[in-house]
Amino acid sequence: MQATATATTTENKAAAPGFGYRALRHRSFMIGLVLTGTMIFAALLSLLWTPHSPTEIVILERLRPPSLKHWFGTDRFGRDILSMIMAGAQTSIVVGLIAVSLGAVVGAAIGLWAAARRGWTEDVIMRLSDLNMAFPVILIAILLTAGWGPGITNAILALGIFNISLFARQVRAAGIAMWEREFVLAAKAAGKGNLAITVEHILPNIVSVIVVQATISFAVAILAEAALSYLGVGSQPPDPSWGRMLSESQKHIFSSPIIAVWPGLAIVLSVLGLNLIGDGLRDLIDPRLARQR
Amino acid sequence: MALLSVDDLHVELQTNRGMVPAVRGVSFAVEAGGTLGVVGESGCGKSITALALMGLLPEGARVRGRIDLGGTDLLGLSEDEMCHVRGNRIAMIFQEPMTSLNPVHRIGRQIAEPLRLHRGLRGANARDEVLRLLDRVGLPDPAKRIDAYPHQMSGGQRQRVMIAMALSCEPDILLADEPTTALDVTIQGQILDLINELVDDSGMGLILISHDLGVIGETTDNVAVMYGGSMVEQGPTDSLFEHLAHPYSQGLFAAVPRVGERHDGPLHTIPGTVPELADLPPGCAFADRCAKASDVCWGPAPGMAEVGAAHHAACHHLGGAV
Repeated sequence: MQATATATTTENKAAAPGFGYRALRHRSFMIGLVLTGTMIFAALLSLLWTPHSPTEIVILERLRPPSLKHWFGTDRFGRDILSMIMAGAQTSIVVGLIAVSLGAVVGAAIGLWAAARRGWTEDVIMRLSDLNMAFPVILIAILLTAGWGPGITNAILALGIFNISLFARQVRAAGIAMWEREFVLAAKAAGKGNLAITVEHILPNIVSVIVVQATISFAVAILAEAALSYLGVGSQPPDPSWGRMLSESQKHIFSSPIIAVWPGLAIVLSVLGLNLIGDGLRDLIDPRLARQR
Repeated sequence: MALLSVDDLHVELQTNRGMVPAVRGVSFAVEAGGTLGVVGESGCGKSITALALMGLLPEGARVRGRIDLGGTDLLGLSEDEMCHVRGNRIAMIFQEPMTSLNPVHRIGRQIAEPLRLHRGLRGANARDEVLRLLDRVGLPDPAKRIDAYPHQMSGGQRQRVMIAMALSCEPDILLADEPTTALDVTIQGQILDLINELVDDSGMGLILISHDLGVIGETTDNVAVMYGGSMVEQGPTDSLFEHLAHPYSQGLFAAVPRVGERHDGPLHTIPGTVPELADLPPGCAFADRCAKASDVCWGPAPGMAEVGAAHHAACHHLGGAV
């Protein structure tokens, strides 16, 4: 009897350890953290130092295979690929960060508004969002490009607009579920208005939804930026970009296939890293694991 | 003049079967310092009545009648004006202390909310007041518990926190909707004692909603029995418990087993089930489950008739029941 009681207590303690402890034990989350950390580190480092200039053209050294001087080799203009990959990470992060922040802030505000108001306000917002989501993000970007010419700003804008709908939907759904909770009724009974309830009770309880969606959207944004740059409507030369490196390497795919591998690998690993973080956060933030109610 | 008087309250709720009458002509009054118990089965309209008092009915509900609080008709107030009444003049305690607190905020902050909202207290002043309230509701070691999260507390402790929140602005009326149903029996007693003590000290009126007759009997001066959205019997608790006039009240009380009483065979039950509000029978809502029902019961619904001092019941067969 005594032994059983002790065992139960220990089990309860083990079931609710701290966030950091559980994060360290979550293998795929840690892998994601390392991959994303590497990308961010490379981007930050490239602001201060790269092995060579990512834009310096040395025709004599074109299409060199990997060597001690050029770890990843050189492209058809003799530019150092490692330096370009590092600098390209900057572009990916900037695009992802702005597009996701725009989507998360505006989208969450709209979603919270829809969840608080319901009725026709919600219907109008959701139908507009349906309309927006019916256009693939690449199509929006190409439309914007047709109007204002190609460039990184339009790519960010296209991704941001798409993300607004995405976040608005997610936040609305999570918000509506939260409005049904009894503590919201208790807050109403205490005399709080809709705005105060939204800010103090709804938003803090759905932050996890926003964070997880932001990580996944970040990955999607990196992928979309690469696709847009590959198509020539994203970042323009000489700004380094993984997507454009891929399209430029296409002509040499049979003579120097390694050139295409590097940017491809960079895209794959950073997207994988962010997705693993997103999945991991979903597990880690889950309140059923985090706290015992 | 009573502190709160509800006169001929009707509430219709929007359902997928159209508008359904959930409360049908309920009237009662609560004096300052008075206590009213509302008893009835699930779905009899007692919680909807409470939500109507708070102005928190679900979207699309229609409400008629008069809810008079200290001379103001609450049904005539705008949503903004109602926000000043809620939590300030009428406060409410809910059934589920486990889910009535926001899991992401410390309890001190949650109790301070109505203080900030209605009394303009901030910072250290608010914190001192929260400590005083926590002490008042008997939470041990308030200085330490004030920074706890809800999940770090037990059900009884959380209910004390909810009570502290409800008391924070010294309301005129405290509405308690099944405040002890989710708690252990021993904790139930403590919470009821606390509520009683607070009502005695502060002079606020209490409306206690419960299906637990023991809880009602111990706590309240007056009782109202609800069935099918109407009040079927109402009167002083002692008189009503002693002499049950309405067949439904009799059935309800007979269904409760008593400790120490020899009992053979199954417990007494009321035949049938609570009718759907959408298809209440015409006339007396209880007629199809009532042993005394006769042809007259299917005609016009009976009105309230006096059966004792301030004790009323709505039944065509009161003579036979007495």
